[in-house]
Amino acid sequence: MSGSVRVTINGRTLAVPAGTLVTDAARMAEVHVPIFCSHQKLPPLGACRICVVEIGMPKRDREGKPVLGADGAPEIAWMPKPQTGCTTTVAEGMVVATESPGAVKARKGVMEFLLVNHPLDCPVCDEGGECQLQDLAFAFGADFSRMDEAKRTFVSEDLGPVVKKEANRCIVCMRCVRYCDEIMGDDALTAHQRGVRTEISSFDRRPLDCEQCGNCIEVCPVGALTALPYRFQARPWDLRQHVTICPWCSNGCSVRLGVRGAEILRARGTEYRGVNQEYLCVRGRFGYEFVNREERLSRPLLRAGGAHTPASFDEAVAFAAARLESIAATHGPEAVAFLGGEKLYLEEQYLFQKLARGVIGTNHVDARTRFVSPVPGAALLEATGGGRPALSFSDLERAEEVLVLLEDLQGEAPLAQAALIRGQHQLGVHLTVAHARRVKLARPKFRGEWLGVKPGGELALLHGLTRAALDAGDPPDLPREIAAGLPGLKGALAAWTVERAAEESGVPAEALRAAATRLRAAGRKAVLFGRGVAEHPKAVALLLAIGNLGWVSGALRSDGSRVMYLGPHHNSQGALDMGLVPDRLPGYVPVADPDARRPFEQQWGKSLNRVAGMTAPEILAAAAEGRVRALWIAGDHWLRSAPDRALAERALERAELVIVNDLFLTDTARHAHVVFAAAAFAEKEGTTVNCERRIQRAARALAPRRGARSDAEIFTAVARALGASWSHRGPEDVYREIARLAPGFAGTSWATLLPLGPQWSREAPVGGALAPAEDLRPAAGPADGLWLLSGGTLFLQGSLSHRTELLPRLAKPGRAFLNPGEARRLGVGEGEALELAGPTGALELPASIDDAVPPGSVFVPYAFPGVELNRLGSPAGAGLRVRARKAAEAERVER
Amino acid sequence: MRGPLLFSDIDTPGLASIETYRKGGGYEAASAMVGVKPPGECIDVVKASGLRGRGGAGFPTGLKWGFVPKDSPKPRYLVCNADESEPGTFKDRELMEKNPHLLLEGMILAAWAIQAHVGYIYLRGEFEYIQQILDRAIAEARAAGFLGPAVAGRGFALEIHTHLGAGAYICGEETALLSSLEGYRGQPRLKPPFPAVEGLYACPTVVNNVETLMNVPPILKNGAPWFRQWGTEKSPGTKILSVSGPVRKPGNYEVPMGLPLSTLIEEHCGGLLGGMAIKAVIPGGSSVPLLPASKLSTGLDFESMVAAGTLLGSGGVIVIDDQTCIVDALWNITRFYEHESCGKCTPCREGTYWMSEVFERLERGEGRESDIDLLSDVSDNILGKSFCALGDAAAMPVLGAIQHFRDEFEFHVRERRCLVNRRAPGLTERQAEAVPA
Amino acid sequence: MSADTVAIGSEGPALEWPEARRAELDQALARYPNRRSAVLPVLWIAQREWGWIPPAAMQLVARTVELPEPEVFGIATFYTMFNLRPVGRHHLQVCRTLSCSLMGADRLFRHLERKLGIGHGETTPDGRFTLRRVECLAACGGAPCMQVGFDYHENLDEAKVDALLEKLP
Repeated sequence: MSGSVRVTINGRTLAVPAGTLVTDAARMAEVHVPIFCSHQKLPPLGACRICVVEIGMPKRDREGKPVLGADGAPEIAWMPKPQTGCTTTVAEGMVVATESPGAVKARKGVMEFLLVNHPLDCPVCDEGGECQLQDLAFAFGADFSRMDEAKRTFVSEDLGPVVKKEANRCIVCMRCVRYCDEIMGDDALTAHQRGVRTEISSFDRRPLDCEQCGNCIEVCPVGALTALPYRFQARPWDLRQHVTICPWCSNGCSVRLGVRGAEILRARGTEYRGVNQEYLCVRGRFGYEFVNREERLSRPLLRAGGAHTPASFDEAVAFAAARLESIAATHGPEAVAFLGGEKLYLEEQYLFQKLARGVIGTNHVDARTRFVSPVPGAALLEATGGGRPALSFSDLERAEEVLVLLEDLQGEAPLAQAALIRGQHQLGVHLTVAHARRVKLARPKFRGEWLGVKPGGELALLHGLTRAALDAGDPPDLPREIAAGLPGLKGALAAWTVERAAEESGVPAEALRAAATRLRAAGRKAVLFGRGVAEHPKAVALLLAIGNLGWVSGALRSDGSRVMYLGPHHNSQGALDMGLVPDRLPGYVPVADPDARRPFEQQWGKSLNRVAGMTAPEILAAAAEGRVRALWIAGDHWLRSAPDRALAERALERAELVIVNDLFLTDTARHAHVVFAAAAFAEKEGTTVNCERRIQRAARALAPRRGARSDAEIFTAVARALGASWSHRGPEDVYREIARLAPGFAGTSWATLLPLGPQWSREAPVGGALAPAEDLRPAAGPADGLWLLSGGTLFLQGSLSHRTELLPRLAKPGRAFLNPGEARRLGVGEGEALELAGPTGALELPASIDDAVPPGSVFVPYAFPGVELNRLGSPAGAGLRVRARKAAEAERVER
Repeated sequence: MRGPLLFSDIDTPGLASIETYRKGGGYEAASAMVGVKPPGECIDVVKASGLRGRGGAGFPTGLKWGFVPKDSPKPRYLVCNADESEPGTFKDRELMEKNPHLLLEGMILAAWAIQAHVGYIYLRGEFEYIQQILDRAIAEARAAGFLGPAVAGRGFALEIHTHLGAGAYICGEETALLSSLEGYRGQPRLKPPFPAVEGLYACPTVVNNVETLMNVPPILKNGAPWFRQWGTEKSPGTKILSVSGPVRKPGNYEVPMGLPLSTLIEEHCGGLLGGMAIKAVIPGGSSVPLLPASKLSTGLDFESMVAAGTLLGSGGVIVIDDQTCIVDALWNITRFYEHESCGKCTPCREGTYWMSEVFERLERGEGRESDIDLLSDVSDNILGKSFCALGDAAAMPVLGAIQHFRDEFEFHVRERRCLVNRRAPGLTERQAEAVPA
Repeated sequence: MSADTVAIGSEGPALEWPEARRAELDQALARYPNRRSAVLPVLWIAQREWGWIPPAAMQLVARTVELPEPEVFGIATFYTMFNLRPVGRHHLQVCRTLSCSLMGADRLFRHLERKLGIGHGETTPDGRFTLRRVECLAACGGAPCMQVGFDYHENLDEAKVDALLEKLP
C-alpha cells in the first residue's frame, strides 16, 4: 500500500507511514529505543548516538528480486556500522535490530561515554527521579565505572532569575539551544568552546535575554538546566502531579502541576499531552505562584457602611440573595447586571448566566468588561466563520501564509507564536504581521512581512487588503448566503481604492496588494486576531471587515474557518459560547428567538427575558448613572479592566449592591458589599474552550484554600437561596446540561474531553455575511496628541500576574515607550518622567526609548501594577490621543 | 624537476605570477574547454582518468562531479578544501604557495564541468599568507579574463573567493567545512543529503581537495591515458607525499602511486638521521593506523595500503624512529583529537578525552594491566559510532598501535615508566591548555 | 530596548567600526550571498582592529552580520585562533603535534617558557610576547615549527629561536 512501508523491528513486522524515523517506528512496535538529542519538535540531529541500532535491507539480485537464504527467508544485507535510529527513515523491507550484540554493545558504549564526565551528584540534583540519563543508567549502565580519572569540570551559573545551569551534568544534546532558536525564536543560548569543553551558556555568560519561558529546562534530558524557583524545593516522588489547563491566555496549554500539601511547587509541560506538549510560556511555568499567596481571601466579607467584616459563607449567601431579591423586586430585574467571568470554567460561566437569566431575569450579562464599544454577542464568532470547523495549532504550523492582525502574540498568545515560529523555521510558513509596532514576530529573523499600520488606520488596512483581494476577481465558491452580500461589499469598497487605504493606513499600496495576493493564493492559510481588534473602539466595524477579508481571501470557506480569535483569558471563548453576552444564550441562541429559546425555558423552568440586555460598556455607563443598582462581578478586577476607571469608580460607589468573587481583595473588591472568597483554577475541576475552540477538561490539583469556594458553588448557593431548584452535583452534571442545550456542544460528553478534547463546531453556522463596514468617528482626545497604544506584555498580563514574586521582577517597571524621534522632540531621555494627559485624567511614567514604537504614538503596556491606564479616559472612534510632555520635576526614575 | 606532474615545474621562479604560469602552458586547458567543450565531456575525461580525491578518502573525482543534479534550479557551488590540517600533511600549502594559478585553473575547469558560477577556497586560519597569494592570483586571473563575467571571453561567469578559517581541524571534514563557510560553528552535518545534492546554502556543491583540483588541468589538457601512465589501475596518477619525522630530507615528494614506502624513505628522503632506525611509519596522516617497520615494502596506493591494514589517507608520511615511545606518540595524537573534537557527538567528544586520560596515566607510570584492553575497547566503542570520521580517525591509530606494539604498552604497566622517558614525569599539559571562554 | 526584554542584563559601552575598516567589511560581506557567511571574515577584521575580540566586538560583529549575539559568541569560541583575551605584540604559537614533537618541540617550548618566564597562554609583563602551544600547523616537514602571528618559522632549535626573538621589536 502506498504511503506506508513494512519494517521489521526485533522480528516483529509492522506497517508504518513512509518517512517515519526508525526511533518512532520502534515506539509503534513497542520497542524501547532511548533518545536524548532527538525531540519531537526538532529536526533530526543524530548527535548523542544513544539510539544506535543495527539496520539491514533485504539483499537483491540483479533483477531486483530478494535473495533467499538456505532457509527460504530473505537474506539481509546489514549495514557495516550501527546507525542512529533518530536520523534514519524507514524503507520498505527494512530490518532493525535493537537487541543484537552489535546494537547492545554500541548502545552500552555510548551510555558509558555519556557518564564519562557526568558527575555522581544525583542525590543533590533536582532532576533526580525524573532524569532520563539516570533511568537509562539504571536500565543498562554498568554498576561501576571504568572511568576513574578526573572529570572535566565547569563552574555552575545562574543564567538570570529562572535558569540554573550545572554544565558538568550536560550531555551536549543541544535540545535547549535548538529549542530556543527554532521554537522560541530567541537564540539566547549557545554552545561555547568545543569538544569535551563544550558548554551551553549565554552571550558572555550574561543573564539570558529571552522570554524566560524555561522550555530549555523542560527539554533538558538531564539536570544541566534546572529551574531556580523550584531549586531544592522537592523531589519529584514527593509531588502529586495533576494536569490542568493553564489560566494565562487563550491558548489552553496543558500544565502539569506538582503539588505538595496545599502548595503548588512547580508547573511543567506534559511532554506528549495537550496542545502544547512540553511547551509552556513564562507565565504558565512560573505564574502559578498566585495560588499559594498568603494574602488570598480565606472567607467571605460583608460591608455594611465603611469597613468589611468577615462572614460565614452561609451569611454571605443569605445576604447577597436577600439584597438581590429586594433590588430586583423593587426596581425590576433589569436593575441587576452580571459582569466578568472570562476566567471561570465553562460550567461556572453557564451557571453565572443561568443565575442572571433563569433566576433573576436579567439579560444584562457581559463577560467582556474590557470592551470599549457595544459589540453584539455573536460578532466574534461570525468574524471567525460562525462555528464552521475551527483552526488548530497544527494547522497553524502547516499553513503557507499566516496574517496576524493587530496583535502582539508574544504577550497574548505565546503558544501560537511558538507554533508560528516553528512553522516558519521548519515548515516554511510565511508570516504577515500587521501591527503598529514591530513586534517580535515581525522581526527579520522570521522572514515575514511587517505591515506597520498607523494608529487609527486599522480599518483602512482591512479595507485595503479586502479591496486588493477583490481586485483579483470575485472569490470562487462562496456559500450562497455569503455571496449575496458581494454586490453590497463591492459598492461600499468602491470608494476604498488600495491607494486610499494605503494613505489612511500608512501601509504602502504594493505591500497591501502583495499581502492580499499571498493570502488569496495560499492553499493553507490563517488569519489571527485578538483583543487588539475586539477591544478597539471600532470593534464592530473591524470584525465585519475581518469577516469580509476572510470570505474574500478564502480564509473562510463553507467547509471550515481559518480565522482565529485569541481572547484575553483562558476561557474567553467559553464565555462567549456560554452566553456571557447580553443578547445570546449558551450556544449563541438569540435571546429574542422564541423557538430557539424554548429548550432553555423548559430546562430552567422559567420564561426568559426576550429583550437583549446591555453590553459591558453600557452597563458601566448605566451603573454610573444609577440605572443599574446591583452588580455581580465574577473574577474580574473591573477597576482595571473597565475602559474608563473614573466611570467605574463612580459606578461602584453608586451601586446599592456590589458582589465580587475573587481570590484577592482587589481595589474592585474593596468597593463590594459582598466579597466571596473564590477558589483558584487549580483548586477546582471544569472545562475551558481555547482559541482553537477546543473543549478541554482541567483536573483539580489541590483542595481550595480554606474558606474559599469555587464560583460554581457560590452561584449555586445564591441561586438556591433565591429559590431555584438547581439539582446538579458537580461540573459533570452541569456539562451534561450544556451539551444538551448549547448547539455546537451537542454530542460532546464529559468523558470525551480527555486527554485532548474536541474542537466544537456546528452544522448550521451562526450568521456572518459580507457587509459594508464603516466607522468614521474620530479618536478621543486632542487631535494633535500622541496616539496611545496599549497591550499586554509577556511577563505581566492582568492583575493576577501582580500577585507573583517572579513575574513583576522579570518585567521592567511600568513605562511609556517612545520612538527615539518622539523622545527627542519631547526632550525626554531613557528613564525620565513623562506626563500623559487624557480627557479624564493624567499619568506620570518613566519613559523608555524603543524604536519598535512608531512616531506620533506612545506605547504603554496596561498590565503593570502601578499603571492605571484607564484613568486617562476611554478610547473612542479610532482610539485615544493623549498629550505628552516631560514631567515638570523630571527626576530620574530607577531603572 | 621534483616530480613528474604537479611538481614538474613547482620550483620555477615566479610561477605564482600569471605571466610565468602562462608561459608554461597555463590556462590553455581552461581556454580550450570552457565554453567550448560540453561540461559532460570534462566530467567524462576526469572519470576516464580515474583521478581519486587527494584529501584523504580517495573518492573518484569524476563520479563526485557526476552526482550534481543536472536539472536543479538552484545555483551550484564549487568549494576547494584547502583546510589542510591532517597532522603530517603539508603538501597543499606548498602547492598553493608556489603555483596558485594551477589551483585556479583547476577550479575554473571543475566549475565549468558542474556549471558552478561561484567557487570558494576554504583555507585553514593559519594560511593567511596563502590567502594573500591566492587573492593576488585571483585578481590577476580576473584581469586576464579567466575569472569574472566571461571566462576566457566566453559566456560563462565565475567568481572565486578565498575564505579563511580560524583554527579547527574538523573543518577539513567536508560538511563541517560547509557549516563553517556558511557562518555556523564548524560541525559536521548529516549525510545524506550529500553535498552534491544539498551542500553549500542547501545547493548542489562539489568539495574537492587542492591537489585533486590541481590534477584537473593537466588531465584535461593531455587526456586520461596520459594521466594513467603513472600509478596503478585503480589508483592512477601521482601522489604528493609529505614526509616528516627524523629523516634526512623531509618534505613533499611527488611519486607515482604504488611506490614502495621504503623506497620513498630510503631513496627520496635519504633515510633516517644519524644512528636512528625506523620503528614505525604512519603513512597517511595521523588518522590512519601505523605500519610497523616490517611492512615498509607496501606500495603507496589506496589498495595496497588497505591490504596492509592502513590507509593512504592524505599522504602525510610520519616516520617514527626507534628512540620514540609508541605510547607517547599515540598520546600526542590522541590529545590532538581530543583538542580538535567538535563536541557534537558523544563517542568522539567523551571517548577522546577518556583515552587521553588513560594514555596520560600510562605515561605517568601509573597504568594498569587492564588499561590496554580498556583503550582497545574505548577505541572500538568510538569506531563506527561517531557522527563523522573524526572519531574513527582518533580510534584507528590507537587500535593499530596496540595491535603492533602491545609490548610497549605492557612495558609501561610493568615498569611503571615510559619506554623512552623523553617527557618530564607528571607532565599534564592538558590542564595547562584548557582555555577559559 | 523593547517592552518585552527582560529587566536584567548588563551593557558595556558599544564599539563601532573605525571608518578605515569600512572597505574591508564591505568587501568581506560582498563575497557571500548572505551576511551570516561573513562571520569569520568579520571576526578576523575585529581581531586585526583590536588585537583580540572583546565581548563588545562580538556584539558589533553580531550587528554587522545580523546574527544573534550568543551565536557569535559560540562561533568565536569554537575556533582556536580568535583571541578571547588580549595577547602580546608577538603571538608565539609553537606546534606540539607529533612530527614537531618527534623533532624536539617539547624541548623548544620549555626553552621558551624558561627564557620568557611565562607558560602556555600567558603574556610577558611587558606585553611583548604571548606564548601558546598549538596543534599541527601544516609545517611538519620543517619541524619543529612556530608561527609568530601569521609568520611561519621552521626547522627551529634553541639558537634559532633566540636569534628570532632578538629581532622582534
